[in-house]
Amino acid sequence: MSNRIPPKPKSTAKVVKRLIITIAVIALYVWTITSINIDWGKIFSQRTIDNFGRIIPKFFDPAFEETGTILIKMIETIFIAYTGSLAAAIIAVPLAFLCATNMVRNKFLNTIGMWILGAVRAFPEIILAIIFVAAVGPNPFAGVLAIAIGSTGMLGKLYSEVIEGIDMNIIEAMEASGANKLQILFYGIMPQVLPEFLSYAIYRFEIDVRASSVLGIVGAGGIGTLIKFAYSNRNWDEVGMILLIIIITVTIIDQISGYVRRRLV
Amino acid sequence: MIEFKNLSMTYPNGTKGLKNINIKINEGEFVVIVGLSGAGKSTFIRSINRLVTPTEGELIVDGEDILHHNGRSLRELRKKIGMIFQNYNLVKRSTVLKNVIAGRLGYTGTLKSIFNIFPKEDMELAYTNLKRVNIADKLYNRADELSGGQQQRVSIARVLTQKPKVILADEPVASLDPPTSHQVMKYLKQINQEDKITTIVNLHFIDMAMEYADRIIGMRDGKVVYDGPASEVTEQTFEEIYGRAIREEDMRGGEEDE
Ligand SMILES: Nc1ncnc2c1ncn2[C@@H]1O[C@H](COP(=O)(O)OP(=O)(O)OP(=O)(O)O)[C@@H](O)[C@H]1O
Ligand SMILES: [Mg+2]
Repeated sequence: MSNRIPPKPKSTAKVVKRLIITIAVIALYVWTITSINIDWGKIFSQRTIDNFGRIIPKFFDPAFEETGTILIKMIETIFIAYTGSLAAAIIAVPLAFLCATNMVRNKFLNTIGMWILGAVRAFPEIILAIIFVAAVGPNPFAGVLAIAIGSTGMLGKLYSEVIEGIDMNIIEAMEASGANKLQILFYGIMPQVLPEFLSYAIYRFEIDVRASSVLGIVGAGGIGTLIKFAYSNRNWDEVGMILLIIIITVTIIDQISGYVRRRLV
Repeated sequence: MIEFKNLSMTYPNGTKGLKNINIKINEGEFVVIVGLSGAGKSTFIRSINRLVTPTEGELIVDGEDILHHNGRSLRELRKKIGMIFQNYNLVKRSTVLKNVIAGRLGYTGTLKSIFNIFPKEDMELAYTNLKRVNIADKLYNRADELSGGQQQRVSIARVLTQKPKVILADEPVASLDPPTSHQVMKYLKQINQEDKITTIVNLHFIDMAMEYADRIIGMRDGKVVYDGPASEVTEQTFEEIYGRAIREEDMRGGEEDE
């Protein structure tokens, strides 16, 4: 008796299809690289090497005397990220319910919800920041708005997937006991989704700390403001210090949030 | 009293779940419905609390035709009818107590329930019912920390906390092992006798049906093909209901293990 699995049937059509795709991808690369006119000579010139030699060591000799000012701006950055992601974590909830096909049984409304979320996801934070700086002026509030809107798209999408994955039998059991819709929301749905919602919101906060670090470059507050000044004045040692602080902060926040998220679900 | 009058149910896809059912279930009876898979047992039971809506005929519960209930009147109906499911349907991340007190939601104002404010009597009722099914020590455990049999007992406590006039149970022991199955059935029977709650249970197992039922209703292909007191039922009756010989899998067994 043989238990060997019969070999997977090979079809030439599939092989040909793969071959065509591979060739197309390679062709696309070749075409891109040849057509964007990279001046290779300039990139590998003596000047580049000199610049690197001048700038890179400064990065590793950070301006520790600036620690105080930089830390204050780092904290501002964290607050921008926190306020923005908190706002997003809340705004995303109703939108997520609108998108979830097991909650709103209306294809049309689901699609509208998806459209809203998709539209806000399409904007990079930095573009949103430029828009809000124009709207509310160059201050951290513009950053908060940019982060809030930018994060709503992703959180709404993730939330709605969580909602669609809940155990609907529990909802049926509660309906069968005469509970009304709001009671079912609080007793049947929320306990099933809240830990995941929170976990995603914390994860998004992690991303937002990074995102809000650069928002200052367009005037939306936070540590990016310092990066812009230091960069314009060619203070590479200061840029080095800023980067160091960002790296340390982001790492700490990642660790903490990872720990909290593991304990949540 | 529950009365089916020429009741039929056609699912939206055209499947006939119930075909012209005429039956009366009296107060305090312990009825077991048997039949092969697809016979319409779930459809029968779920019509009574309108989880499905029959398409023709009348269904009288507590003196009212319930087929046209909706919104508030439907919730009022459902408050009177408790339901137990094969998969317990507890909120796994909530505590046992929170799951059981959820049985009171139909009686509690929306705002109060959102803030978790229940009358003291209701909390005590929840606790008493947990004691009745012998699981009060797990009060503050999360539901997913309990075994299947324990979860089913919690769901019985939840239904009791609803103070229903009728208990419906759709295959309450299908996911349990034989000794646990008997334990759960015994609690249902005891509650039926002590509280005089009309109880309707779907079962696959003929030995359990004969042991616990006052009355057995046999279904096949959406129709009631047998209706009689459990004392008059023999294996032959089941062969008629099922339309085939009795097999080993039709028996739960395991009573003597306890
Ligand atoms: N939601 C539904 N949509 C369409 N047809 C359905 C639906 N639910 C049940 N049916 C059909 O109705 C008939 C009766 O189903 P029902 O679930 O009442 O059977 P049952 O006796 O409970 O079976 P089981 O022992 O497998 O639970 C079956 O033919 C089934 O396929
Ligand atoms: Mg069924």
